[in-house]
Amino acid sequence: MKKLIEKSGMISALALGLAAADAGATDWNKELKKHDGVKLRIQTIQDPFIDSLKKISPDFEKLTNSSVEIEGFGYDPLHEKQILNCSQRDDQYDVLFIDGIWTGEFVEAGCIDPIEKRVGRTNPEVTEMDDYIESFTGQAYWNGTLQCLPVAGYWHMLHYRKDLFEKANIKVPETFAELKAAAKFFSESPDFPGVDGMAMNFQRGSAAGQQFFEWIYSAGGKPWESNYPGSNAPYKDQTPLFNSPKAVEMVQFFKDMVPYGPPGVEQFAWDERANAFTQGKVAMINNWSVRTPLFTDPKISKVWDKFDVAMFPHAEGEKSVPPVGGWVMCLNAHSKQKKAAWDFMKWFASPEIHKSFVLAGGPPSRHSAMQDRDIIAAQPWVPTLYESSKKAWAESRPRHAMTFEMIDALGLQVNRAIVGDATPQEAMDRANENITKMLTRAGYIDK
Amino acid sequence: MVFDVKIYLGDTMAQISYSLGKLVLPLSKIDLDKRAGFLFIFPAVLYLIFLSVFPFLYSVYLSLYDVKLTRLDKKYFVGLENYLNLLNDPLFLKSILNTAILTVSSMAIEIVLGFVCAKIFLSLREQRVGQVLRSMSILPMMITPICVGLIFSYILNPTLGIANYLLSNVGVEPLSWFGDPSVALLSVILINAWQWTPFMMLLMLAGLVSIPDSLYEAAELEGAKWYHVARWVELPAIKDVILIGIILRVIDNLKLFDLVYVTTRGGPGDATELVTFFAYRQDFRFFQVGYGSAAAVLILLISIIITTIAVRYLRRMQND
Repeated sequence: MKKLIEKSGMISALALGLAAADAGATDWNKELKKHDGVKLRIQTIQDPFIDSLKKISPDFEKLTNSSVEIEGFGYDPLHEKQILNCSQRDDQYDVLFIDGIWTGEFVEAGCIDPIEKRVGRTNPEVTEMDDYIESFTGQAYWNGTLQCLPVAGYWHMLHYRKDLFEKANIKVPETFAELKAAAKFFSESPDFPGVDGMAMNFQRGSAAGQQFFEWIYSAGGKPWESNYPGSNAPYKDQTPLFNSPKAVEMVQFFKDMVPYGPPGVEQFAWDERANAFTQGKVAMINNWSVRTPLFTDPKISKVWDKFDVAMFPHAEGEKSVPPVGGWVMCLNAHSKQKKAAWDFMKWFASPEIHKSFVLAGGPPSRHSAMQDRDIIAAQPWVPTLYESSKKAWAESRPRHAMTFEMIDALGLQVNRAIVGDATPQEAMDRANENITKMLTRAGYIDK
Repeated sequence: MVFDVKIYLGDTMAQISYSLGKLVLPLSKIDLDKRAGFLFIFPAVLYLIFLSVFPFLYSVYLSLYDVKLTRLDKKYFVGLENYLNLLNDPLFLKSILNTAILTVSSMAIEIVLGFVCAKIFLSLREQRVGQVLRSMSILPMMITPICVGLIFSYILNPTLGIANYLLSNVGVEPLSWFGDPSVALLSVILINAWQWTPFMMLLMLAGLVSIPDSLYEAAELEGAKWYHVARWVELPAIKDVILIGIILRVIDNLKLFDLVYVTTRGGPGDATELVTFFAYRQDFRFFQVGYGSAAAVLILLISIIITTIAVRYLRRMQND
């Protein structure tokens, strides 16, 4: 990977230039209107792709005589701000990036203007809807209607220290059992001082709650009755199964992994997990692909030339179902500049601009991007990512209006099991009971 | 109907009257003073009505409904169900317990340490170094709690923090300050006490300074030891001040939020869940404003009960 990464700097610069040259393939002067003096405001997550978004947006400004302002927020503050703005019918932002799992909540609250009709009226060569990767595109739909554009898809991969695995002569883990054995080995081996086995998201709340959903399908379980990979109607029967034997076994596995994590791993969330890896403190992490480019940056990563990626692990006898997530780009229902906003959206999401976005460090979300030679040269992990994207399940996390509350309630109990406040069985029984009450009250399951 | 207003400001004589049929009400100077007084406080009253009274009444109203902020148009009247659910919610009850432990423990540390520090600064009050140290000691309470939380989350970071690094130099195993449920609340208490001990110290120092020297001289003549002086001279003299400090700190601790938000987010498990954090999550993370409002109203009631008891006790002490 080191050589590929070294090459990637030059190649990406070259490819970015080529992509810019390719931009002539679409006659944007014909596709886009002039929006003299219009100031578009975009609200998004402060994830690594925000820099790529900022890098390419000036091209749109030049094409349309408009200006684009991009504001990033942390995960929870973004959700709070977007919902509060929406409840006040606020029009200060025109384009909203929302987590794919918030789609149901935002649609039901009337926060976003569905884009399906706009897509229908737009040149199909610009929108290229069939080019989006199916496992993430599903998160842009709600009630069978396309609500947003799936422009920033993430998938989970196992990130591991290639140098350590080679030195230890250990096979890269594919199953939970192999993962645990490898984690134990690195934590306990005197040959690898200062390195722990694996860091996972154990912090109470969203971190631990989401982790449950990320692993449950690969553990052979399902979170509720009708939600399993390939289900035609995942929300038909939402009877919770958080205390099923598979779920309890998986939480026990989480607990078993605690001793092989760095000190304080019980409080780790996304940042801590990534930092532990970039600082060379752990041999493995499972992580969203959006952060992978950061791991290759020598300025912030001590392992920039020492890691590789592999498919998300699975339980014995089960298949890998990598978690899928990411950000869909939506039109604010209360925006007063919808035409300009839609112009930005279709421009940004088009295959050729998407390629520029990915080459600038953004996450690939289209088949064309995943197979693009320039992108693969710049981001050598993309073939594994593409493989992951094909095996992922779009409904891996709940996406209705109770999502946040449900994940938080689950995260509290998973964390209680991890820190030893309760046994995995007790904690998951409590989680199942609480979530059943919650969903019954909200009318998602019958009384 | 005739409405007649006459105001003679010369000689401060004023007359405002209106007639409604045969009824005529002349208003005296006192009435005018009252009205002038009312006019002066009118902006403050308006402010209170719009920013305190109305939100409170609206919270009480919302607390009687099952409603999400995202769908305010779809609300269902549930009466006192939200309150009953709260009182049966193990997480809310744990948050009350945690808040009580945090409040009592923090204040105990602040009072003991504050008194010791106040005594030290009292003995150094004539010296330049004492004055400098006293000024420096109050710096923690000038930092916003969110910054304090961030600073300590770096210091106590289990992997990269300086606290564990220093402990490892003396052979102590790394501690999971915010990750171990048996340590997390203690960590929050210690940070809270670190920040607010100077406040209690300042109050007690002001009280100690006001004790006449003659009392100390009398105690010395009687052969009193330092702990006799503390128990029978100093503490009785500053008990009013301590109680005022306790009232203010109880109110502060009941609304403590930032520190937990930054450091533990209520975890691990429910080890540091506080009432404010519970209400915040209901209101601003899940947007269950009915349930969240019920929690906020209950928190307010608890605060009012505790502070009323404390204030009454203070008054009784002053009367005694």
